[in-house]
Amino acid sequence: MTRAALERLSTDLGERSTYDAASQCSRCGYCEQACPTYVATGSELKSPRGRNQLVRLIWEGGLRDPAAAEQALSSCLLCGACSTACYAHVPTADIVLEGRRRIGAHWLARRLAAHPSWLPKALKAALWLKRLGLSRLARPFLKRLGLKGLASADEHLAEAPSRFLCEELKERARPLSPAWLYFAACGTHYLYPRVGRATVRLLEAQGPGLCLDFRCCGLMAYNYGSLEDARKLARAVIEGSEPFPAPVVADCSSCAAFLKKYPQLFLDDAPWRTRAEAFAARVRDSIEAVGSTEGLTPWRGGVVTYHDSCRACHGQGLAGPRERLKAVCGGSWRELPESDVCCGGAGAFAFTQPELSDEVLRRKIGRIAALRASVVLTSSTSCLAQLAHGFKKYYPDATVRHLSEFLAERLPNPPPHGT
Amino acid sequence: MSRLSALAGRLPAAVVLTDEAALLAYSYDGALDRGRPEAVVLARSARDIARAVEFCAANRVPFTARGAGTNLSGGCVPLRGGVVLAMAPMSGILEIDTARGLAVVEPGTVNLELQRQLEGLGFFYAPDPASFKVSTLGGNIAENAGGPRCLKYGVTTHHVLAVEAVMPDGSVERFALDDPGPEIMSLIVGSEGTLAVVTRAWLKITPAPERIRTILAGFPSIGASVECVSEIVRRGVVPRVLEAMDRVTVESVEAYSRAGYPRSEAVLLIELDGSAEQIEADAAEVERLCRAHGAASVRSAADAAERERLWQGRRGAYAAMARLAPNVLVEDGVVPRDRLPEIVRRIQEVTARHGVVAGLLFHAGDGNIHPNMAYDERDRDQTRRVKSAGHEVLQACVELGGSLSGEHGIGVDKREAMAWLFSPETLSLFRRLKQALDPDNIANPDKMLPLGAGGESPRFFRPALRPLSPAAEGLVERVGRAAAERRPMAICGSLSRTGRRPAGLLALETRGLDRIVELDEGNLTATVEAGIPLQALEGGLSERGFHARLPSGGGTLGGLLATKAWPGIREDLLGLRVLLSDGQVCELGGKVVKNVAGYDLARLLLGSQGALALILEVTLRLHVRPQPIAPIQPPKDFIPNRWHRAIKRAFDPANLFNPWIFGP
Repeated sequence: MTRAALERLSTDLGERSTYDAASQCSRCGYCEQACPTYVATGSELKSPRGRNQLVRLIWEGGLRDPAAAEQALSSCLLCGACSTACYAHVPTADIVLEGRRRIGAHWLARRLAAHPSWLPKALKAALWLKRLGLSRLARPFLKRLGLKGLASADEHLAEAPSRFLCEELKERARPLSPAWLYFAACGTHYLYPRVGRATVRLLEAQGPGLCLDFRCCGLMAYNYGSLEDARKLARAVIEGSEPFPAPVVADCSSCAAFLKKYPQLFLDDAPWRTRAEAFAARVRDSIEAVGSTEGLTPWRGGVVTYHDSCRACHGQGLAGPRERLKAVCGGSWRELPESDVCCGGAGAFAFTQPELSDEVLRRKIGRIAALRASVVLTSSTSCLAQLAHGFKKYYPDATVRHLSEFLAERLPNPPPHGT
Repeated sequence: MSRLSALAGRLPAAVVLTDEAALLAYSYDGALDRGRPEAVVLARSARDIARAVEFCAANRVPFTARGAGTNLSGGCVPLRGGVVLAMAPMSGILEIDTARGLAVVEPGTVNLELQRQLEGLGFFYAPDPASFKVSTLGGNIAENAGGPRCLKYGVTTHHVLAVEAVMPDGSVERFALDDPGPEIMSLIVGSEGTLAVVTRAWLKITPAPERIRTILAGFPSIGASVECVSEIVRRGVVPRVLEAMDRVTVESVEAYSRAGYPRSEAVLLIELDGSAEQIEADAAEVERLCRAHGAASVRSAADAAERERLWQGRRGAYAAMARLAPNVLVEDGVVPRDRLPEIVRRIQEVTARHGVVAGLLFHAGDGNIHPNMAYDERDRDQTRRVKSAGHEVLQACVELGGSLSGEHGIGVDKREAMAWLFSPETLSLFRRLKQALDPDNIANPDKMLPLGAGGESPRFFRPALRPLSPAAEGLVERVGRAAAERRPMAICGSLSRTGRRPAGLLALETRGLDRIVELDEGNLTATVEAGIPLQALEGGLSERGFHARLPSGGGTLGGLLATKAWPGIREDLLGLRVLLSDGQVCELGGKVVKNVAGYDLARLLLGSQGALALILEVTLRLHVRPQPIAPIQPPKDFIPNRWHRAIKRAFDPANLFNPWIFGP
């Protein structure tokens, strides 16, 4: 029953086998310039077309050693910009993941497959070290253990929360018929509780709601681990929300996009497919649910701009709420050129492909610096970590905030801390 | 790998890729052909290219240059393995000089990137192939790419001022438009990487027009729309863009992008630029003509955003067909503009007979047709039918006096079709030229020219050529006799530029070549004999209401071309019929305004001073409105270099024509 790959994908042109979906690529090449890794390297191996062709060859048995495609496939950001550029919307990111599953891609995948609970534990340990101020000492040690990725992960995280988000939210009142359900992403839960607090404050302006119990949405398992783990987590998330017929709001665009894609996990499982479809229809990215800007305190400060998280703009077709930001920021608002190009964070990419990630990051920071921006807003926790790291390294004049934080701070009469 | 193992030692490790995935990723382009290289060089500089090519030359290893790999004719597929030179990483814009109107770029620069840089400066780079968001300028030069805008502004060759190129022996040369002697630069443009690899280019940039207006007209049939196109151009309106699309195309575009095209049987997208006053006048004329040809709707784009949407739709028309099936064969033929209605009928007949669906998309103003046929390459029968239909459409184009390719190149896909268009004599000249510059046949081998003897297709015969005039026949005979005796000859026009008749040589007087052979009013072209005095030509044309872009003054048309006294002539030069020193007659170019089939020998002959061939006939583009002319330039001293000498050997190995030019 358990297969390593999905083998069927839901595409813009209907449900297709993975092989048919990859074969839909006509090799026109119109995606190439949309791909940050191609633009950074000029290499066909690091282009969407190249990756699609290699996956197709894996399925056709055209690669003598399928592992030869590993580098091409693991260097994909999964940002989805190529699918937006593609006229047939060939789902390259999904196809790349299918390819990785076939060849059993890299260390993170193998580790996660063997020990699904390893990542949260490792994260907790790293954060604990950080809070003790010992993480800098631990870095060479981690590198020697072959955990170079984790060492650089630590370098990316400028802050360490004192309490995970859901430990705080547990203490909230639980209304019987909530107007919204808040879904805490791993990123907000473990790393950025301040974002979660802000999103909840914004939602409260729309009526009483409920914070769902913390559960990983399964994206890490989907991208790097086993599909069975991803399905297990997805079922738990769906079940947890089913008693309450309200919109499910997630404040990390990567998770929101994945929650909306749950049906793809269950294409061959009719009952769960139906439940997943009903669930997906209720999911809202927090940037869709921020409400109106009426009554918000206008921004008086430096230039504000917006970086579209890939999984919002390419994964869900959502643009950041420009009009509202213009209304709040007035003359301080600037549009960011290439706002929909990936920052190089892309989940674990910054840790698994540090050089390429940095190349992509530098271009992004360059665009931001050219605007002389002092605040960059975004909606995915991986962008928050990556841009914070980039600013620290290349452009200390700017800070990055989640859209929710920026708006919540402008709410009238801020309630006391800790709500 | 064995024959290439030493290559890695000549270049930094990260530059040479030889792993299986890399070799597969560089084995295709935008068409169906495949060829697996033995190594890929991710070039960072002309030096990398020169080193790699030197290695290839020393070891007789083939090499194939590649930009973004969006080629639609298999041009950058390494058919004989060897080395792929990937130019994409060389993407620097080195200089933009608005005062001199030029940009200096590396070949991997994406066309759009240059456009973006120029936009802020009030300039643009005119060639705009539909792939311009991804295709590279080096690739554009290799293919002599066109695009919608070239109706008014010309194709890539009209916008290249100079190239730096690595030659097949690994040497680095620079060829410029204003070099004295034959135009080698023009030969390299459009040569599909079979003669040289361009490593830097000096490009002409153009000031942005004051205003642009985009008009959209819906027609009851594709036939009516292309008849209207012919009429618009014949009335003297020169839109910057004149594109036609049929219903199949419009619907697939709308499914992707909601561009806002009318749902009629055919749509014309017309764009005018210039001063506000000129646009007003032209727009009124365009609207009148559209209505007269049955257009039910004619409207202008309200703002820049709507204009951009319409363009998004147009540029995506080919890729949007990819929604219908995984593969799209985009055929690329050209016909004289006034034969568009006929080619439409032929395409409909051919596609119906083969049971394939074609979306029609025409750069109608240029007579350049793109039937897009969607299919699945995994379905062998369907693939065969689509390919047959494509070939028959091309044969129809040739029959109607057109060409095999307006802008996508010959590559692999059309190399056999070259024998439908060109005579064995012309093909043989192309081969000699390739041999002269690339004696080991290592620069992108097996492209552009038919393999083997180049026999004609059993089902198709080249249309008969127009007979030569008695005067031309006389010259052919005279040259044939002299060639048999190996007697040196001197080509004599009016002697207005050379001044003297060289002593001791057999004189070939072109004075008798004075006819206007054909004035094609529908297509706006004239074919004239080369000995015609410029004044007589101008008089003959204006009598019938047409203008050619020619300087006033004395001398013959042939003399003007051979001395390149007025370089502007290259803009409107479409074709030549020439006599070689062995008595053979070759046809170069044709009578369509866009034509990338074969080497551009017509422009190569500009400035050749009669030392390569005797020009018998010239085909020029005509204008309805008088054209401004730049002044004539004084001749420059020409000292042949080794590339000129190689070319001379291909044309005239015994140095019989104007022998003093190349010396003993």
